[in-house]
Amino acid sequence: MRRTRRAVSLALLVLLPGCASFAPPQPWEKQYLATPAMQFDADKLDVRNIQHIYYSKEGAAGGYGIGGGGCGCN
Amino acid sequence: MAATDSTATPARALLAAALALPGIVPATVAAQTMPDAGFIQFKYLDYRDWQPGARRMRVENPGFYVMSPFAGSWVVEGALVYDGMSGASPMWHDTLSGASGEGIHDRRAAGDVKLTRYFERFSVGAGVAYSHENDYISRGASIDVRFWTADKNRTFAFSYAGAADRIDAPDGAARQERKYVNDFLFGVTQVLSQTAIVQSNLTYTRGHGYFDDPYKTFDARPDNRRVLAWLTRLNQHHPESGGTLQLAYRYIDDSWDANSHMAEAAWVQPLPHAFSVRPNLRYYTQRAAYFYFDPPFPSGLVFGQPYTADTRLSAFGAFTLGLLLAKDFGDGWSGDLKVEYYRQKSDWRAGGNGSPDILPFSARWIQVGVGKSF
Repeated sequence: MRRTRRAVSLALLVLLPGCASFAPPQPWEKQYLATPAMQFDADKLDVRNIQHIYYSKEGAAGGYGIGGGGCGCN
Repeated sequence: MAATDSTATPARALLAAALALPGIVPATVAAQTMPDAGFIQFKYLDYRDWQPGARRMRVENPGFYVMSPFAGSWVVEGALVYDGMSGASPMWHDTLSGASGEGIHDRRAAGDVKLTRYFERFSVGAGVAYSHENDYISRGASIDVRFWTADKNRTFAFSYAGAADRIDAPDGAARQERKYVNDFLFGVTQVLSQTAIVQSNLTYTRGHGYFDDPYKTFDARPDNRRVLAWLTRLNQHHPESGGTLQLAYRYIDDSWDANSHMAEAAWVQPLPHAFSVRPNLRYYTQRAAYFYFDPPFPSGLVFGQPYTADTRLSAFGAFTLGLLLAKDFGDGWSGDLKVEYYRQKSDWRAGGNGSPDILPFSARWIQVGVGKSF
């Protein structure tokens, strides 16, 4: 239970800086959102490579996506 | 570039409106529209790891990715990767498989393809994946459904993937073994403002079958596992500097007790001449699986009970420090170079109490990539 509370607190810490200015934009106000730096997982091969490395060197993985085939590396 | 200039001119307002139209905003802006251009990418990864006094594994990995829209509302994408692996891997704790440090040679070829159909307010995608090593074959399939709100500022994602794996280790430690894994994902992506977007994904993985590492002595793991991962990411653009802050936090709850926390921060800064740079820092900490036993090996071993001396299931902390340099060459061409250094130490586990008597583990990897949109 204490671990869950700590996880929620940390997630809120990440979220709060953005939530402080919650004002969803109009369609013509999305130029910054369209830049590559604002995309999640824009570089598909980089995401695959990096998550594969962590998957093979750390205890558990998840969150970034699902599927893609398993391997004998863990 | 436009993103660095807060001056609102009619031309920029028009550009902003154009970028916001369906099919022009990249698909991952709240993942609500299909891309109108294809993309092809090649990347080469060189990976090496080591512990004090000994080199361990080296992996050379060329990868290829292509994505293309077609027929107005369809997108096909796929990837092929190849791993060439060599070196030494621990038999238990940090005792390596060969005194010379050269013991393992293996190859892995993997590929996947996904087809997505876009509709007015939702999309449906389906994919298949295949991975082949000498001793491990994995076959998988997935389905992915996304819904978005009318203003396209919020997207819900639901995904399922199933995999059936066959393990056949040539030394006889594993003969015709099977593993089955089901993955579920629920995700929400929300545009918070003109300069901020947040995504939160919950994935649940449930597997049963053969989870042992057949190359680790006396390794005997439970035949089922449940992993719940919660990942939250925030991208915050800063128009005054043109930079973008990228934050991520992930919590994993594991039925084997290898629960973990991960936090990562990166800053993307555009530079003159269409260069950009992205330093990143990641911290990871995990507790030990309930069946991991500290040295000396094989202390704690009871035949018939779960046991591992795999340090990946020990309690430790790890840092990654990286730097990406990217350049837009124009006419759709781009290139990038990324270097990352990774280090695991028991002492770095958050709050202390890392698993004792294990050597630190280090790795570095370099990626060189080139891409072209079409």
